[in-house]
Amino acid sequence: MTTLWDTTGSAVVKELAAQRRTGGAVLSGVALTLVVVADEARVAEAEEAATVASAQHPCRILVVVRRQIEAPVPRLDAEVLIGGRLGPGEAVVMRMYGRLALHAESVVLPLLAADAPVVAWWHAPAPERMQTDALAVIADRRITDSSLAEDHLSALRTRARDYAPGDTDLAWTRSTPWRSALASTLDAVSGRRGDAVRVVGGRVEGDPGNASARLLAGWLSSRCGSAVDVVGGARRPGPSGVDSVVLQLDQDEEVAVRADRRGGAVLTQPYRPDATVPLPDRPLGDLLGEELRRLDPDEPYAEALEAATGSSGLSARAPVREHVWFDPARPDDATEDEADDAAEDAADAARDGSGDAGTAAAAAPTVPEDSAGTDDVALNGERNAAERSDPSAPVA
Amino acid sequence: MIVNPLRDPRDRRLPRVPDPCALVVFGITGDLARKKLLPAVYDLANRGLLPTNFALLGFARRDWGDQDFAELARDAARKAARTPWREEVWERLAGSVRFVQGSFDDDNAFDELAGALADLESSHGIGGNAAFYLSIPPAMFPVVLKQMQRTGMADSTAERWRRVVVEKPFGTDLASSRELNELVDSVFSADDVFRIDHYLGKETVQNLMALRFANTLFEPIWNGHHVDSVQITMAEDVGIGGRAGFYEKTGAARDVLQNHLLQLLALTAMEEPVEFSAEEIRTEKLKVLRAVSLPEDLATAAIRGQYQQGWLAGQRAHGYQQEEGVDPASTTETYAAVRLGVETRRWAGVPFYLRTGKRLPRRVTEIALVFKRAPHLPFADTDTEELGNNQLVVRVQPDEGVTLKFGSKVPGSVMEVRDVSMDFLYGEQFTEASPEAYERLLLDVLLGDATLFPRNAEVEASWAVIDPLEEFWAGSTPHPYRAGEWGPRAADEMLAAEGRRWRRP
Repeated sequence: MTTLWDTTGSAVVKELAAQRRTGGAVLSGVALTLVVVADEARVAEAEEAATVASAQHPCRILVVVRRQIEAPVPRLDAEVLIGGRLGPGEAVVMRMYGRLALHAESVVLPLLAADAPVVAWWHAPAPERMQTDALAVIADRRITDSSLAEDHLSALRTRARDYAPGDTDLAWTRSTPWRSALASTLDAVSGRRGDAVRVVGGRVEGDPGNASARLLAGWLSSRCGSAVDVVGGARRPGPSGVDSVVLQLDQDEEVAVRADRRGGAVLTQPYRPDATVPLPDRPLGDLLGEELRRLDPDEPYAEALEAATGSSGLSARAPVREHVWFDPARPDDATEDEADDAAEDAADAARDGSGDAGTAAAAAPTVPEDSAGTDDVALNGERNAAERSDPSAPVA
Repeated sequence: MIVNPLRDPRDRRLPRVPDPCALVVFGITGDLARKKLLPAVYDLANRGLLPTNFALLGFARRDWGDQDFAELARDAARKAARTPWREEVWERLAGSVRFVQGSFDDDNAFDELAGALADLESSHGIGGNAAFYLSIPPAMFPVVLKQMQRTGMADSTAERWRRVVVEKPFGTDLASSRELNELVDSVFSADDVFRIDHYLGKETVQNLMALRFANTLFEPIWNGHHVDSVQITMAEDVGIGGRAGFYEKTGAARDVLQNHLLQLLALTAMEEPVEFSAEEIRTEKLKVLRAVSLPEDLATAAIRGQYQQGWLAGQRAHGYQQEEGVDPASTTETYAAVRLGVETRRWAGVPFYLRTGKRLPRRVTEIALVFKRAPHLPFADTDTEELGNNQLVVRVQPDEGVTLKFGSKVPGSVMEVRDVSMDFLYGEQFTEASPEAYERLLLDVLLGDATLFPRNAEVEASWAVIDPLEEFWAGSTPHPYRAGEWGPRAADEMLAAEGRRWRRP
């Protein structure tokens, strides 16, 4: 592990390459890059979860912590780990201060694993409009967590308004055990009948203000074609926000799934004794692991979100977002005042530089016209920079 | 028709869960049941992959109550479970665990078993579905199967399924395997018989099909035009342990070559199945197994060996003949290496070298495709002295993954080409792999997915390959090799005679 204080993106790239060479047997098969955007207060939690998930899906972990955007001088501190605290793979934890926090992608872009999918996960309040965060634009899949918000329901509405295929939410992931228990309950009914089952109505009992409960109800509505609502139950529900689900079926039958508060759920169905199935409250790492299993758009989530928020046409939206500049210090400005900003941190802007001219990073306006001689990676590429110690290599 | 509105093919988060059913294990007190089956059942339960209405029924001779059995099952599951231990999961499972005591020829015991199944149907709602796991010596099969037939336990109907799981060995030669197949098939219908070969449950073996048939890169060179030879190795560092009685009668060829290695050969050499379904994959595998040919001169192309005393991993190891329970003059082989051919257009002329052995330096299973050398090298001879054949290696265990070996320039001012390898480590490396295979296969049995299970015709075709070998070897003495070395010298000479050499895995 190496910690680089007040450093630059190219120094991080170089350090990563150096550690890869000296580290011996390191994990070489990287299936994706996981970009974690976390608050300082939640970094430890996010790191732990990312480590668990990376054991299931070998990935490069890039943790981005944005701090003190108002700080006068931008600064980057980075911790480079291979086969250390964050699992067997490669990981970089970056803390960005000042205006650099608004240009995080300039550091992240050169660190992405080549031609592998990029997953961005906000373990922090997610941007209201994804396209204002360049990290969301470069990511193929974006994971948010509506349950981190004060008001889950307005967070869900924000997600629906902003949805593009490839978005997903951990509140949805939390509902998977419930959905699986419900689906197998209906399997049991249809197995007994030897015929199809129709759901004519139902209700989710739990916390009406919980995002997972809402999405579960939304999913049931979208699958069954009849409105399923969340009603406050007699008991306080667990973290999933759901205490029980009751479904009315055709042929005047009713099935119910109730959490037993011991990591299980009791299924009640006609003509059969009650049965218990596991219904674990999974740790964050397992939730993230489930998200990384598939990287294509999650249509059932889109439909559940539609039903939960009363919106429509989510799946038909374009999957690609266009980056829009947004400055939280000057929220009214639609566009950044280039000259002003460039002057403000001209010295650092040169270093903060663009690793990848012509893409999203180049669109970020702090990048000066001419970065000649300042950015090693831009000049020589990642590989040559690492080989600089070889005397036969050309000196840059 | 949509049977269950909550099931959506696009929804890949929801796991496949079997119908309500019971798992009946004969020989529940045995080694396999305790070390593999019970932990696998717990792991499945812990992952939420067992149906809502599920029951586990154990049958054995020991005089036990449900409580004693639950106790044993708990200890066994806890000891070998792959997933973290959660007491509440076990408690739920324990609520549906039953034990039936009796010997296999006891009519009353089987009537009791049939009764217990019927009881479970009303108390646990298993819907009459049941899978019978025969974790017993093959000699007991006829008795148990007859009993099941007598009590009508084996009959699948439109309302319920009844399946049987059989462990290897599937017979000891072609005739006995035919007999066994006929017996099993007379009681259960052929589709309800699942023959477990736990190697096929490994991720890498399934990945072999993804590698071959989902990519464009490999299939064009996956044939005799480009492949020089194929080496399939399954090496074990352990000896025979406490299985002397079984091993004396079996030997390496029957124990490993007949099932694991020939199945790996079939998956490597088979044509593309029409679709990824049990029936189509088995059809293609069967075609390959039927096309397998033995060399004309078995003396140079079929070598068997037996380990002698030696040192392995820093410890002294006994020779096979000195192992407890082994005849001091035993001629049972603990190593077998054979050159096979596959008589199809794709593989004509390509030798398939299969080898397996005990007390080899390390435990490893791999499939290596050795490619032909480039027909012309524009470099000076001295530049490419260290360049070998390109290789594509599928590592089945440990470190499941794929290695590609090719030549690369050594950095420096002179042109020097040397072999390097490019590694892909499968993600599964971080989890314990072997029980996973049982978990997967057990789940497939309950789901009725036969993709990873060999069919009776495949077993018979495999024996048709092994029988002439056994016949040839009968009465001969195996070549000796020291424990801790890569097999007898004769096996090295077998390849050297054809200008090849074994890969050191």
